[in-house]
Amino acid sequence: MDNKLIDHLFRHHYGKMVSVLTRIFGLSNLEIIEDAVQDTFIKATTSWKQNIPEHPEAWLTTAAKNRVLDIFRKLKAEKRRVPQFVSGMDAIAINDLFLDTEIEDSQLRMIFTACHPLLSPTDRIASALKSVSGFSSKEISSSLLTKEDTINKRLVRARKTIRDKEIPFSIPTGNALVERLNSVHEVLYLIFNEGFHSNNTEFLIRKELCAEAMRLIQMVLNNKITRSPDGYALFALMCFHAARLDSKLTEDGDIIDLKHQDRSQWHFPLIRLGNDVMIKAVENDEYSAYHYEAAIAAEHLRARKFESTDWVKILMWLEKLYEISPSPFTSLNIAVVLLQMGSLEKAYDRLLTIEPAHLEQRSYLYYGFLSEYYLLKEEKDKAISSISLALTTVANEAEKRYLLNKKKYIQTQ
Amino acid sequence: MKDFMMIFIGADYAALDLSPEELQNRMGKWFAWGEKMEKAGILRGGNALEPQVRRIVGENRTVTDMTSAELKEIVGGYYLIQATNFDEVEKVAQDFPDYDLGGTVEIREVMVFDN
Repeated sequence: MDNKLIDHLFRHHYGKMVSVLTRIFGLSNLEIIEDAVQDTFIKATTSWKQNIPEHPEAWLTTAAKNRVLDIFRKLKAEKRRVPQFVSGMDAIAINDLFLDTEIEDSQLRMIFTACHPLLSPTDRIASALKSVSGFSSKEISSSLLTKEDTINKRLVRARKTIRDKEIPFSIPTGNALVERLNSVHEVLYLIFNEGFHSNNTEFLIRKELCAEAMRLIQMVLNNKITRSPDGYALFALMCFHAARLDSKLTEDGDIIDLKHQDRSQWHFPLIRLGNDVMIKAVENDEYSAYHYEAAIAAEHLRARKFESTDWVKILMWLEKLYEISPSPFTSLNIAVVLLQMGSLEKAYDRLLTIEPAHLEQRSYLYYGFLSEYYLLKEEKDKAISSISLALTTVANEAEKRYLLNKKKYIQTQ
Repeated sequence: MKDFMMIFIGADYAALDLSPEELQNRMGKWFAWGEKMEKAGILRGGNALEPQVRRIVGENRTVTDMTSAELKEIVGGYYLIQATNFDEVEKVAQDFPDYDLGGTVEIREVMVFDN
């Protein structure tokens, strides 16, 4: 018999059970619930060391169900408010909440709670990773390259806000749903980008963040009420990016730029999936930033070789993206594309509209661009001094090595 | 062939703040280890122990109930295996999954009484 468990079974099941129990006992008891669920996993680990049950998931669900009564007793002992629902102890109703469809519903409620606009964006990411995805604060801290202490503070603050503001454990309706969906999409987009663009040198961690964001957006899209064209576009974008993830880094963790990536290594099933999803995303004519970003990513993937990239099309999508969501990064990308197209002066003018400080920790991209520009203009000295500036502002080791190699290359020109 | 016991001593998992992912990985290693011993035909038995401890000490038979949280180290379980000597068991014990958590394996030979 094959006894290997599905990857991340515990982590995923943790999120499921915490969500169901929260639906039963309310968000005010989240901490007790999380501890109780954690206990079931410790129990499982100990008793499965020698023998893995035939239906691990069912075992875990039963274990969590059995905790309902324990939590109930604990709340009574601590004289905490026990929801009416449980006081009545309608065993059938509680049992029903552990059915697959209801579990999914509970998890969506948890995603929507974690992404409530009353929470700050960084707190939203931390609580989503904790309560929905089952990451520990240590894992969140190493994923986001943030101190564990800071993560703990964010989690405590998020919990306090949820309690104090009495945020309901529900999926909002009407206009509130539209607004909340935007926040959910944004949080998932950020989690994905944390994996895709991150400064993290640990490739596995990056991959897991991307995979987690993709799992959660699929959950949102699985539900009739919460699916939307924007959500599909976001999922398509993730597919397109994820298809290139493996070819972005060498085995030693060095960065390979788009131009030098081995395109045969791109993951074609993901590209096909992205294309299929994109069809659903464009069913109406309202396009979001995710639509344009997905279109740009798709355009890059369409080119068999870097040289056959359709820069005119990409420029068009970028301009549209800039129209609905002006950001200095989009401007920079526009400048880069103009440079690729040989419009040196136009590219330079575009660059001048950007304030490097607005690019924050990625301001090195600005100077990297300048260096490229001067190199094309055959002003080698300026190219070298620009790349030196880029080197003073870069923090990530892999990026630094990339820039150093580039500098060496320029010096030999 | 003799019988040896590998006794596992260390902190209780509940006290270590392990994430679900870490727990699953660790469990996988324990399972793989057990399977390896089984395949080698040396495994005679073993058990994991619940973390509650009731201790009876001294002439007055003083009874104390303790939880693993109060104890830094407890015996978490044991395996009984067949081997010719300590060195062989030591080799088997290389795969014990919890050294990185400060865990200890104590190897003891089961005494044989012959008349």
